[in-house]
Amino acid sequence: MKPFIVHRGKVAVLDWTDVNTDLIIPARYLKRIERVGYGPLLFADKRYIAGGAPPIDEPEKHGPLDPAFPLNRPENQGASVLVVGKNFGCGSSREHAVWAVAQGGYSVVIAPGKDEGFADIFEGNALNNGLLAVEVPQADWDRIAEIAGPGGAEAVIDLVKQVITVQNGPATVEVPFQIPDTRRERLLKGLDAISETLLLESDIDRYEQAAPAWIKPASA
Amino acid sequence: MPATLFQKVWDRHVLSVTNEATLLYIDRHLVHEVTSPQAFDGLRLAGRKVRRPDLTFATIDHNVPTEDQLNIRDPLSKRQVETLRANCAEFGLNFYDIKSGRQGIVHVIGPEMGITLPGTTIVCGDSHTSTHGAFGALAFGIGTSEVEHVMATQTLWQGKRPAALGVEVTGTLGPGLEPKDIILAVIRAIGTAGGTGTVIEYYGPAIRALSMEGRLTICNMSIEGGARAGLIAPDDVTFEYFTKVDRPYAPKGRDLEAAIADWRTLKTDDGAKFDQHITIDASKLVPQVTWGTNPAMTIDADGHIPTLDELPSSLRAEADRAFQYMGLTPGTPLDQIPVDVVFIGSCTNGRIEDLRAAAQVMKGRKVAEGVRALVVPGSEQVRSQAHAEGLDRVFEEAGAEWREAGCSMCLAMNPDKLQPGQRAASTSNRNFEGRQGPGGRTHLVSPSMAAAAAVTGRFTDVRRLLEV
Ligand code: SF4
Repeated sequence: MKPFIVHRGKVAVLDWTDVNTDLIIPARYLKRIERVGYGPLLFADKRYIAGGAPPIDEPEKHGPLDPAFPLNRPENQGASVLVVGKNFGCGSSREHAVWAVAQGGYSVVIAPGKDEGFADIFEGNALNNGLLAVEVPQADWDRIAEIAGPGGAEAVIDLVKQVITVQNGPATVEVPFQIPDTRRERLLKGLDAISETLLLESDIDRYEQAAPAWIKPASA
Repeated sequence: MPATLFQKVWDRHVLSVTNEATLLYIDRHLVHEVTSPQAFDGLRLAGRKVRRPDLTFATIDHNVPTEDQLNIRDPLSKRQVETLRANCAEFGLNFYDIKSGRQGIVHVIGPEMGITLPGTTIVCGDSHTSTHGAFGALAFGIGTSEVEHVMATQTLWQGKRPAALGVEVTGTLGPGLEPKDIILAVIRAIGTAGGTGTVIEYYGPAIRALSMEGRLTICNMSIEGGARAGLIAPDDVTFEYFTKVDRPYAPKGRDLEAAIADWRTLKTDDGAKFDQHITIDASKLVPQVTWGTNPAMTIDADGHIPTLDELPSSLRAEADRAFQYMGLTPGTPLDQIPVDVVFIGSCTNGRIEDLRAAAQVMKGRKVAEGVRALVVPGSEQVRSQAHAEGLDRVFEEAGAEWREAGCSMCLAMNPDKLQPGQRAASTSNRNFEGRQGPGGRTHLVSPSMAAAAAVTGRFTDVRRLLEV
């Protein structure tokens, strides 16, 4: 995983609440067994003019973009910071939703409300893919959305200082945020969780040896 | 210190704690074809093995065609199924293939085979893993990177321990009501994000009165209320699930006695505090029906589609989009809304008691003209049990399609799908846009409410048909 230290990029706002994983990536695309190719599948049933969603095995073959979908607005093209409403990523545990957001070009997602911005599983999956999911207080979110809403805003997300700076023309907002230390550490170093855990292998062995007999599956 | 059930199960599994993260030992890992291929790839790339193949159980459910399981026509579905088959062989995992007699929806076969046990931790790359909490197990859904992590280490990193949300259900369910109505009412009360960051414990007389199957239905939908998991303390009903029926993987003889002695301690102590708490009175419930595109958009079966003013403020912002997508006019009485499709099945309501409840309503009646009704058992074992009880004949005589085991129309990944604009009464758990097929309109209901919709061709308060 690539370390995440400071990210600089254009901001897009999708001001919808309860955006669920079926919306982020419709279930039919879960038939893929690959780990790449999810970018064009992000919001596949909203983003293209009806009938234009790509076939499952050919993500690049999609129809024209639907101008009514907020992320398709010209000023949102090339954005890498996504500002979203509450409870983003609710619904299923599919990591495909995070792959779609990340491969769709976003490095940071910002949602309002502590413990309310993201669905739990989505937040965990984001971490495992180096996608920074930041929750900021509603009032700060409102300030960000206000200056970024019209489009064309630039943001700097500094994970070392834990500060988001959004600038649009003369207007600037600076918002502090907090990511739990262990998570931050992993993102900053781009660490793979498995090798980290395997350092604790003797603890795992000991736990298994101490487990009661009934917990082992009977042989079926 | 008095502790909640959730704390007890969590604490038993803690291997290591850092400032904000906890490493939990995982007792059971369930695997299906959709969320695993990239995890197996990761293992291969790193040259890793599955640490405990004996604790890992795989089956095929999402992609299975339920009309004829063996005939997977979609090449992509076929590829996904074959990939799991090959991966299970390569890594030496327990695998329940189609027609093995034990295949089924992963959350249905876990309990019925005794893989799911009280006091254990259970994970699966599937959000409805919360189902298994019905046994007093800590069970939750994980993403594909985590699937790989559990395979390689049999452990999982978690953030700080979630808060405990107590959901007390008092009173007694009236005739015509089912566990599904309880959980829909709970989600209606707390909202789809109400449980975010929490693990729910369901308790109270109305929960105690439920069978294991009913408890599974309740815990299944914890995730729809935003919770990580749902739990119910094990009791005699739970123990009988293991003592009355031989479950292949469950402990036997002395091991079972020791297990039950331990399981009796798995309850929330007197004086332990939930971080949050709500109470629902089951006696006051009427059958519940969702009208919109999230599972908190729910009304009473004898009611009407809400008008904007009648909605709680949390639902107003999304309401217009929901009315439009669902093709509904606010104020319309529910019993005037016709249905095109009825789906009875899924990990929420595809167990034998669900099929019995549906059969009771369908018996001697006919599926209404123009309505397509699918009845899909949750597992091969549920299917054979239904045959033994003659339920298949009840459904077929009524004109419903009796299918083979799988996820079926719960989600649009296999041939069972809604057509754009079709309206369904469905016993599944999600009513998101497009969940059952692009443009499909889903109303979540209990099995008997679904059966009532099938025989009347529109939403009907099932209590009218049962003459209660
Ligand atoms: S029945 Fe539905 S909710 Fe349950 S595992 Fe299958 S697709 Fe998921």
